[in-house]
Amino acid sequence: MLATPLPTEEAHRLQVLLDLNILDTAPEDRFDRITRMAARLFGVPVALVSLIDADRQWFKSRVGVPFSETERASSFCTHTILQDGVMVVEDATCDDRFASSPYVTEAGARFYAGYPLAAPDGSRIGTVCILDRNPRTLDDEGRALLRDLAGMVAGEIAAGELRRAHARRSENDAWLYGLLEHIPDGVLMLDRAGNVICGNPAAEHMFGSDTGGLAGRMACSLLGDDAAMLLDPEHSADAPPQEGGGLRLDGSTFPIEVKVAPMCLVGQQRYAVIVRDVTRQHEQAQRSRATEERRRKHFTTATHELRTPMASILGFSELLLKRDFDAATNRELLDIIHRQAARLVDLINQMLDLARIEAGGTEGLHIATVDVADLVDQTLTGLNGLGQNHRIRTEIEDGLPAIAADAAKMQQALTNIVSNAIKYSSEGSQIDISTAALRRNAKLMVAIRVADRGIGMTPEQQARIFDAFYRAGDAQNVQGSGLGMTIFKEIIELHGGHADIESRPGAGTAVTVWLPAAPDHG
Amino acid sequence: MDKTILIVEDQDDLRLLVRLSLKSLGRVVLASSAAQGLAMVRAEKPDLVTLDVWLGKGDSGLDVCRAIKSDPETQHVKVLLLSACGQQSDVEAGMAAGADHYIVKPFSPQSLGEAAAALLAA
Repeated sequence: MLATPLPTEEAHRLQVLLDLNILDTAPEDRFDRITRMAARLFGVPVALVSLIDADRQWFKSRVGVPFSETERASSFCTHTILQDGVMVVEDATCDDRFASSPYVTEAGARFYAGYPLAAPDGSRIGTVCILDRNPRTLDDEGRALLRDLAGMVAGEIAAGELRRAHARRSENDAWLYGLLEHIPDGVLMLDRAGNVICGNPAAEHMFGSDTGGLAGRMACSLLGDDAAMLLDPEHSADAPPQEGGGLRLDGSTFPIEVKVAPMCLVGQQRYAVIVRDVTRQHEQAQRSRATEERRRKHFTTATHELRTPMASILGFSELLLKRDFDAATNRELLDIIHRQAARLVDLINQMLDLARIEAGGTEGLHIATVDVADLVDQTLTGLNGLGQNHRIRTEIEDGLPAIAADAAKMQQALTNIVSNAIKYSSEGSQIDISTAALRRNAKLMVAIRVADRGIGMTPEQQARIFDAFYRAGDAQNVQGSGLGMTIFKEIIELHGGHADIESRPGAGTAVTVWLPAAPDHG
Repeated sequence: MDKTILIVEDQDDLRLLVRLSLKSLGRVVLASSAAQGLAMVRAEKPDLVTLDVWLGKGDSGLDVCRAIKSDPETQHVKVLLLSACGQQSDVEAGMAAGADHYIVKPFSPQSLGEAAAALLAA
């Protein structure tokens, strides 16, 4: 038997055949229709659509053959694909190429006519062929008929390929559509004059429009007049986004960032516009600026507060060094220096304390279960005699729940309000420390109230009580840094609590601290 | 003729410090608030006012300075601002308010005396 002759570019031909995804597929009527017609028209028992794989011929459609594939070697069709045009073997027993082929010797084939089957790119992937058990001839009309039938099969193959490409395309479109549908950024398509052609749901939502409601609107009615500047066919899509003001359909505005990419769609100049609502970023920036401003102001105030005692220390010590004063004046000036130095140390300690508490946050707290009666006792003991000339009365409720707190910090917070009560009320006056427990928003809270009968505060003074370095009224003669209430508030808030202030000038001040009860009491 | 110096300062210790620093230059009168300071400028017609910038209760020495410098009766009065705010912008704000000199706290009493003497001699 002769070796199978191979066409040139066999590898490419096989790849094309493989890519058609047609081998080993189910029978299809569109092909079977053609082989049935061939068998009838030519009056032959066998008609095939044969595809020539690497080492077999596989029948996409067959009439008169019970099997779907045979060996490629020694087949008629493997020769047909070597040539253009029809191949006719009138009597295989008289053809050296096929006389000993099992198709002839065993299956009894005598007549063969085949026409190469062309893939869309022209590669000969197989044949349309007819066979008979008797020798016969094929006239020109028969040859033309076979060519046309092969052309019909090739057309069916090409049509299948087109349908698959279309399906792939539709899948891609679905992905792209899904993307546009779901991305949070607004996307608009504009025509060359700047009218909206369409927008994605995010864009419609952003501008407060119904589905399809943006189409036909002028871009500048949504993006502001600056948008016109971006509508330049030469505009680079790489340019940084432009900030501006977006206009919703209801007339309200919001900050936006806009990017424009000019594009050409089916020969028409178009613009893809990406709109991002940057409200949140703006708010964030505003908060940062406010924080920065507060910090700057705090720094200025702190500097001022530190320089003031320093002015006394430096100034009076220079006077003492350069001038002669009488003993009493000497003593008075030294006293001032000492007092102001002490104040400076106190200020620095309190500032560091506040900074530590702020920086530590809740992680800097050592939370434990703290008994309120013990806390109040320790606070009063820690006053070191401050308030010894006041009548301090404590009244702790029986069965008061414990609180979850950092004992040392909470004592510091309480000390600050108790010492304020002492400092801003006259000696001999009464200070009441009382407690209560109350459920607020389903949370058990413990209240500690410190009430004095001192000078009290005006509403204006109350409003500023937690400002750093603020000291109510003519507080020059009252010792303190002006940071006590700031530190107090910081500590209370870190504990998840809050404070109420009641005060009237001349009547006194009451500060009530609300703190969450320890969990086992919650 | 003896020069008159008005010291406007809300802090007792610093009022004393400025008084001790300047008392050799003339007659010294004292005020502890913006309102009192302005009233005394009109009543005493001082040659020099040393003015604290932060006078407490939200009062600003800069306002007092502007009031002095915008009143034809008192605009000739020399104003020396004393402030714990020492940034360039603070000094510029002081000079813009019409001050003749600006000294930052803490200060040397001797330097303050020299600056005041120079203003009185001008």
